[in-house]
Amino acid sequence: MAPAVVITGLGAVTALGGDVRALAAGLAEGRCGIGRVALFAPTGRAVAAEVREEASAVVGCLPPATARRLSRPDRFALLAAAEACRTAGLEPEFGRDAGVYVGTTTGGMLATEEAYRRRRAGEDPRFRLSRLLGTPLATAAAVVSQGLGLYGPRETFSTACSSSALAVAMAADAVRRGVVPLALAVGTDGLCRLTYAGFDALQALDTEPCRPFDRDRRGLSLGEGAAALVLETDAHARARGARPRAAVLGWAATSDAHHVTAPHPDGAGALAALAGALADARVPPDAVDYVNAHGSGTRQNDAVEIGVLRRVFGRRLARLPVSSTKSQVGHCLGAAGAVEAVATVLALDDGLLPPTVNLRHLDPAWDDLDLVPEAGRRAPLGVAVSSSYGFGGHNVSLVFGRAAR
Amino acid sequence: MDTDRLRAEVKELLVSGLRLDVRPADIADDTPIFGEGLGLDSIDALELVVLVEERFRISIPDEEVGKRAFASVDALVDFILQERAE
Repeated sequence: MAPAVVITGLGAVTALGGDVRALAAGLAEGRCGIGRVALFAPTGRAVAAEVREEASAVVGCLPPATARRLSRPDRFALLAAAEACRTAGLEPEFGRDAGVYVGTTTGGMLATEEAYRRRRAGEDPRFRLSRLLGTPLATAAAVVSQGLGLYGPRETFSTACSSSALAVAMAADAVRRGVVPLALAVGTDGLCRLTYAGFDALQALDTEPCRPFDRDRRGLSLGEGAAALVLETDAHARARGARPRAAVLGWAATSDAHHVTAPHPDGAGALAALAGALADARVPPDAVDYVNAHGSGTRQNDAVEIGVLRRVFGRRLARLPVSSTKSQVGHCLGAAGAVEAVATVLALDDGLLPPTVNLRHLDPAWDDLDLVPEAGRRAPLGVAVSSSYGFGGHNVSLVFGRAAR
Repeated sequence: MDTDRLRAEVKELLVSGLRLDVRPADIADDTPIFGEGLGLDSIDALELVVLVEERFRISIPDEEVGKRAFASVDALVDFILQERAE
């Protein structure tokens, strides 16, 4: 029988704060981290969830010159990864065989854009190498591995908005199959003009903080940040005296094979991912206590997603809490899956359902459902699922379980 | 140009151009620019060549010249003055 995979450490840098404690408090209070864009002059009128406070620099084993040049997303990734390892109680020499699995979509694009802007403006007649170093997507995994001294395999996934949900799944897969005794799953992304202008051009951005599942929802709000999770077998965790925060019970990934941005109207791929993950976890739909939805706040996503949930959970969905963490931290793109995995683990570990904020008028198409409006709520949870759907039809569902006490 | 002003300008360029976490005035005139001194690496070296060539309109054609020019702040100031005199 395949060994149980557990999560023993969490880290997060989001618009709600620089660590997991701040994220947990923000989720419980129903705080919304979405506001004015300050990083660059945006072209549209939309808002975003920027990371404002960054914890003091964590450079670990990084040479000072490397630390000085880190892109924002690489710095977010290192901070979250360092917090996850610290809270997992890992000793400095643990990393000999630890794998690093990272999801991201645009890496250090903001700095790359700045290099091009400066060149066009004549401020830098020649390209500055240091401003382009964060461009390759694999740099976050390299920084985490070098900064924390992790010597196992390194993999980078870029499947749009499901990138780090896939990183969590692949990290869990590597641990379950015995490829590595311990894995770090990380998601990271930083706001940049490219993503902002792209989503704006697609008219996918709400001009107000996003309102997932609301009757008046107008689109998503972009976010940024990083989250990290330490995964290992239950036996490995117990042998070193680490407390499992939750178990990763199952996962599945599917494709829509349909359109470059739109989800398949039937949600067939999303349905197959959720059903596949539950089957992998050997959990019947009736055993699920909470759904951390993709919940982007676009008219199409939310409608397709609720349709999928109705088909999987049937009439029981009316009594099954469903919420969108994106209403609080924005859509963190490549980091979204990992941020929402952390939110889901916190829900299981603390018995606190994270809410869907900015939800004032339930869409009449689902006014029978419990979307946990406005503030977090206490509830003992046994099994929770988190789904992420990336542009181009990249669907990933993850199933988490409360850790045995 | 006055040597003191040039020296201050070189230090300011080092700090702002390479985004160093020190104040220009705290860099000693004889501090080695690479190695132990300011903690710069090979990527900083490439950057610094571009920065110095553009700011001071001089040319650092090869590694040998670079090594001599970037030995210290004072060495760089001397190199710039000498190049401009020619």
